Amino acid sequence: MNHHSGINQTFSFDRWTKLLLLHWTVNRKRYLLALPAMAGLLLVWESFILAMNTFQPLDRGFQGMTYYAGLYAVGCLYASMTFAESGTKAQGIAWLATPASALEKLLCGLLYSAIAFFVVYNLAFYLVDIPMVRIANGLIENGRRTWPGGPRIDPVQIFDMSKGGLNDHADESDHLFVLFYFALQSAFALGSIYFDRYAFVKTGVAVVIALGCFMILQQRIIDPTLPHGWHRQNFYDWIVDWDTLRARGVRLSPTLGTVLGAMLIYGIPVVLWTATYFRIKEKEV
Amino acid sequence: MVTIRDLHFAYRRRTVFSGLSLDLAPGHIYGLMGRNGTGKSTLLRSIGGFLFPRQGNIDVLGYTPGKRQPDFLQRIFLLPEELFLPPLPVRRWVRVQAAFYPRFSQEQFDKSAAGFSLPLDGRLDEMSYGQQKKVLICFALATNADLLLMDEPTNGLDIVSKSQFRKVMAGAVDANNCIVISTHQVKDLENLIDRVTIIDEGRILFDQTIDAISRTLLFRLSHDPQETATAIYSESSFRGNALILPNSTGEENAPDLEMLYKAVMLRGKQLNLLFK
Repeated sequence: MNHHSGINQTFSFDRWTKLLLLHWTVNRKRYLLALPAMAGLLLVWESFILAMNTFQPLDRGFQGMTYYAGLYAVGCLYASMTFAESGTKAQGIAWLATPASALEKLLCGLLYSAIAFFVVYNLAFYLVDIPMVRIANGLIENGRRTWPGGPRIDPVQIFDMSKGGLNDHADESDHLFVLFYFALQSAFALGSIYFDRYAFVKTGVAVVIALGCFMILQQRIIDPTLPHGWHRQNFYDWIVDWDTLRARGVRLSPTLGTVLGAMLIYGIPVVLWTATYFRIKEKEV
Repeated sequence: MVTIRDLHFAYRRRTVFSGLSLDLAPGHIYGLMGRNGTGKSTLLRSIGGFLFPRQGNIDVLGYTPGKRQPDFLQRIFLLPEELFLPPLPVRRWVRVQAAFYPRFSQEQFDKSAAGFSLPLDGRLDEMSYGQQKKVLICFALATNADLLLMDEPTNGLDIVSKSQFRKVMAGAVDANNCIVISTHQVKDLENLIDRVTIIDEGRILFDQTIDAISRTLLFRLSHDPQETATAIYSESSFRGNALILPNSTGEENAPDLEMLYKAVMLRGKQLNLLFK
């Protein structure tokens, strides 16, 4: 017998804000320390490269690689701690007993580990990167050369994460790295509630195994079902006689391709966050 | 208030409950007793919705505990044996945590804390285990939850605090709420609980009110060998033989819970027959 249901038992904005406040009160030291820690590490790294790389210090490609390496490494590490409190009996009971719904707990965790982290990471990155690029350009203007008497080095541009591309001359936006980060990050958030201990390592192994299985599925099961001579180019294109002048291709309709692409790019985090929601609901301590 | 029917629960291959049924009514302080590892904590966590039955039903205040709906969580409070309190000043933690409990009374919290002589200006992470436990006990009482589940609440408390605990708890129950205290330190619950539930190997071995126990059983010291021979349970001591006898004369007496517990473990069937 259960007469107690309704939308208020699933989500209440008032209760969610209380949960955000509780989470912030308990974890704020950790979060506040993260900003200077990340900025400090970036500063050391970019200073080292500035001193060592005489060819083109801090070019946009290098900045981008630094940006993504830090985002993936620290972001996934943080994500693997999203629901870490559920991993021990004492903390798990305290967390599950807090009068808030599973959805509110999920959204609270994701707000801090996915959204707030992303904002803070960008803040830390550009707090360091912008002055460091200015220093690099100062060195270039003051006559730094690849070798004595060599050609002038072009000024360095600041890596623009809103465009995403690593290429120094890229004009088109390319957000694949950022979108894949959110997919990976959501896997680590799921791992934080799925695994009670060593969630980061175990999720990392699980992701590698999942990717391996996906590749095996493609190469050993799906591809052999194609007619003789046909090859898969990507998720939407198939080609026959690709190495001859008679090469022909088959492509999914643009609408279907767009839908499939969007599902792959945007759908993974949504699917994994949904799985995390159900895992929170079924969590036992 | 709590209805458990045909509860089955197992940790992987270790069966804890296989068909346990139990009813808990408001207005009582239940003493849940049993050996270590016999399922007391599992039962409390199942009632609280932190473990799910593999089979059977649990109904608490009309809710299914496993759904952990916010309204349900506001109306119960589980004081676990293993505590977690974040590294925060006591008052700040109370403020952010209390916001979730609509019936929380700051006045009640302060009163209980004063009774335990708790330093409320300190930090939770600088407190001893016993002090942390007292903070949680005070908080649990101040939530005015309908159902209070306490797992070994007197573990870690000093002698004075144990007596204070009994005093504070005795005033906490009213006609609308129910308190379940699980313990293997039965002495700590004397003069506090009004119903004794003893579980062993996932079964209810004994479940009676203190009134019924004192009406049915007589706890006394005796030097009479004949009387000792008729006892349901006896223990020798320097002061004579401590006996549990059928209370055929209706003599008023206070049950010795430790003796009762041992008697139930050894002569459970015989004892239960007297209550039928």
